[in-house]
Amino acid sequence: MNKKKKIKASTVVIYVFLSLMLVLYLAPLVWIGLTSFKSRPEIYKAPFGWPTAFHFENYAMAWKAGRLGIAMMNSLFVCVITLILTMVIGSMAAFAIARMRWKLAGAAMVYILIGMMIPVHCVLIPLFVRFAKIGLSNNLWGLILPYLTFSLPTCVFIMAGFFRSIPNELLESACMDGCSIFQMFFKICFPLARTGLFVTGLMTFIGNWNELLLALVFVSDDTKKTLPVALTKFVTPYQTNYDKMFPAIMIAIIPTIVVYCMFSNQIVDGLTTGAVKG
Amino acid sequence: MDKLLRNKKVIFIFVAPALILFTLVLFIPIGTSFYYALCNYDKATRSYHFIGLGNFTKLAKDPTMRIALKNSLFFLFFSCISQLVMGLLLAALLTNITKGRNLFKNVIYLPCVLSSAALGLLWAFLFHAKVGINNLLLQIGIKGPGWLFETKGFITLPMWVIAFVALWQYVGQSMMLYMAQISGISKSLYEASYIDGASKTKAFRYITLPLVKPMIGTAMSLNAIGSLKFFDLIYAMLGDKTENLKMDVLATYLYRTGFSSKGGNHYGKASAIGVVLVVLCLLATWIINKLFKTENYEM
Amino acid sequence: MGKRAMSVLLSATMTFGMLAAVPMTASADDVQNITWMFWDDLDASEDPITKGFKNVIDRFNKDYEGKYHVDPITTTLEEYYTQLNALVDADQTPDVFIVSPGPNLTDYVKPGVAAPLDDYLNADGWKDTFSSDAVFTQQTYDGKIYAVPLNIAAACCYYNKDIFKEAGVEVPTTYDELLDACKKIKDAGYTPITISAGTAWCLSMLAGYLCDREGVDLDAVNTGKESWVQDKTIDAGKKLLELSQYFQETAAGDSNDDATMAFAMGEAAILIQGSWAIGQMNAYNPDIEKSCGVFQFPAIEGGNDPARVIAKSDSLAMNAKTKSPEACVALMKYFTDDEAQRWTAEQGGKIPVTNVKYDADKAPAQMADVMKIFSGASSTFGFYNESLVSSDAGSYFDNQMVSIYKQEKTPEEAFQAVEDWYAENGYRK
Repeated sequence: MNKKKKIKASTVVIYVFLSLMLVLYLAPLVWIGLTSFKSRPEIYKAPFGWPTAFHFENYAMAWKAGRLGIAMMNSLFVCVITLILTMVIGSMAAFAIARMRWKLAGAAMVYILIGMMIPVHCVLIPLFVRFAKIGLSNNLWGLILPYLTFSLPTCVFIMAGFFRSIPNELLESACMDGCSIFQMFFKICFPLARTGLFVTGLMTFIGNWNELLLALVFVSDDTKKTLPVALTKFVTPYQTNYDKMFPAIMIAIIPTIVVYCMFSNQIVDGLTTGAVKG
Repeated sequence: MDKLLRNKKVIFIFVAPALILFTLVLFIPIGTSFYYALCNYDKATRSYHFIGLGNFTKLAKDPTMRIALKNSLFFLFFSCISQLVMGLLLAALLTNITKGRNLFKNVIYLPCVLSSAALGLLWAFLFHAKVGINNLLLQIGIKGPGWLFETKGFITLPMWVIAFVALWQYVGQSMMLYMAQISGISKSLYEASYIDGASKTKAFRYITLPLVKPMIGTAMSLNAIGSLKFFDLIYAMLGDKTENLKMDVLATYLYRTGFSSKGGNHYGKASAIGVVLVVLCLLATWIINKLFKTENYEM
Repeated sequence: MGKRAMSVLLSATMTFGMLAAVPMTASADDVQNITWMFWDDLDASEDPITKGFKNVIDRFNKDYEGKYHVDPITTTLEEYYTQLNALVDADQTPDVFIVSPGPNLTDYVKPGVAAPLDDYLNADGWKDTFSSDAVFTQQTYDGKIYAVPLNIAAACCYYNKDIFKEAGVEVPTTYDELLDACKKIKDAGYTPITISAGTAWCLSMLAGYLCDREGVDLDAVNTGKESWVQDKTIDAGKKLLELSQYFQETAAGDSNDDATMAFAMGEAAILIQGSWAIGQMNAYNPDIEKSCGVFQFPAIEGGNDPARVIAKSDSLAMNAKTKSPEACVALMKYFTDDEAQRWTAEQGGKIPVTNVKYDADKAPAQMADVMKIFSGASSTFGFYNESLVSSDAGSYFDNQMVSIYKQEKTPEEAFQAVEDWYAENGYRK
């Protein structure tokens, strides 16, 4: 079909422009990959050249110096727990709001959606003060609680959209078969909203995996830091260890990139679906 | 069925955890925050004294607060507009091509899922005074500007640099939202318009834009709140240098006032900054919703 | 039923939280566990002082195995006091914690968080091991010692001998000679002075020296006998501005690290820094050790005694409510024993607080020069930002010095601003 037409000039322009964008997006990542293998003097002298030698030991040093292993475990712990709790609590609330019949459903939705507009910064100080008193500061659970709370609005918002789209007839027939409300939720609606769960799970996980401010404030002990905080520690007023910082950045972003490459279509389309349905 | 869905007990069980969490971790702390904003925190005795609006009058006179407010507002406008333009442009281009669409889309979206802290450190190095881009420029005989430390001008150069880095990182989000909306527009509409002799640009102006309008509201409020909250990139790129470089935004100023070892622990004043922030967020969302009001309130 | 399920869920979450909140120090029978809080990562840091501290902790835990055990809590310098305050608020004050003398220590002395240490110091001749009683000056409040100094760092001027020779410059002893030297070095194509204004305290250190050389009486200014706006301070501000034309072009954005590196790489001729910079510069470029000389900050003619030196010490304070004071004291003694102090001098690039004998050859070459300057000092004074009425006042001062350098404020305006700050915060009557 396309062959009939000549390739239009506008198409060429579009592709040239998009290719430039591609370079703009990929070049920094490729560059950091190369630089992470350079020795410290080389980083300063020839930051853009091809590495003269590949210093793989940079990675080992960064891993050890930044306690990246522990940091990664901490991040994983916090994010997985938050993810599970968010999905369960969020979709339960979303179901009740979207499908169940009660007068205050709308009000509850608004209550939760206000959370989307409130930046976490505003509760930073009260939470910090309160958590210090009840032993939740310097404690990963002290991160999980606010992460969970601030992940809920999006989750409820998107899941409510998905639950609304489930046809009434399906629920009715389930009801005829003698399903209890819990069975209806867990056996029918939950699986049907898989895409929604996937999307919210993704958003929650990515958001919390990258979160910096709360993690910075609430956790002081080096053995409890999360990955983003561990990264910022390579730059201090006293010293910047670029030869360790770049490998550390790579270590931090490679897992995300790998997962993204494997599932990029699902991730991007999932988010699209989430946005449309939501 | 109706009975099943009206079961008060079940509703309670389903909604309570979320609402309790919300109340405990969000709404009560916000109330506390408003109260702290009216107090002076005494470091030595670790207690709060009610001082009324003292923190706010102090902030009104505080030059750093003015800088932070100016920068935050600049950032708000810049990101709303630039994300709208770039996001729509990219979305329009990508929906017009078939080959490689996924590749372009996925690559541009990639930084959205990466850690701002990591990317910030990367860009900080690239915009470093001597190494980085300036090193490259020097090799071709150009003396690069102080990307991240020039303090002249109303909106300083570092602010522009960071604003563009933020655009680079987050434009994928807006692009995706617009793409979703555009691909939701029925093909027959376009076909009908082409039969009527409309050009692609005309179709974009008269079909795409109006139908994308509700999404503009959503994307823009997301941008607005995101840019007011903006912290990670600046912190990663400038660390504790924000004050001297006049690069504070509300979030970094709040962080420093509350938690930095130098000049920190002013919980009252920091809470007052938080209150300003939350008011701005609500105001921005409200204005954007007014501007892009749609009948379809769900999206 | 459902309610019960939910309450179970909730309480399970709570219990989890509480469990995790309990510090993991469940201990064997009689071991006394204490915590020690520090502002650098013991394992990751390349800072030689930190490495020395790690040795101390390891030695202590090994020697006292079965009796005492110390768990380090480490964080970054940037958030150190915030995190320490959080622990104090939570009633989990570390048993021993590092603190800078001056207003930072006052913050813990006043509310009774830090314990007076005189009894322990006097008990078994511990205090006699220190080089002099003077080392406790900055740690003393109302006649009582509240912290034990671990080391002393002196701020000096480092210079690159090769550049000096090339530019035909002698080591300056007066401010005018310094200006003259800078001019010649600039003509020779080098950066005369490398400094960081991005990290404000670095610039403020230079300002502190200038103020002191001018003869500013900091006590009088702090207590309100004199104003910040006076000829001496303003002259100091003008001199800061005058010197700033010889800073590297990127000074405004450079961090401390960048500034030190420029010196280490032989790009700049003079670096004004604390002696901790020695280890740093030698790490960047081992060759700098040979060509680096040290000189005393020059005198200002008609000004104050030019043999005064800025000195800063890391100190340890003890939690007044600690359950195991003996363990804490034993730990603090490990920090001031010969092995630790020898490390301080030989590896750490700082001056020991005791009379320990150390091998001068093992220490970096610059160390001997620093020691010479330090022992020739008539008296020492603290960093200006750590010697003002409060830590906030210190950082406000730093920022005003930066705005002088950036020419956003004239020296008069800047010092007026500091004076106004004092008035607004109740330090002026």
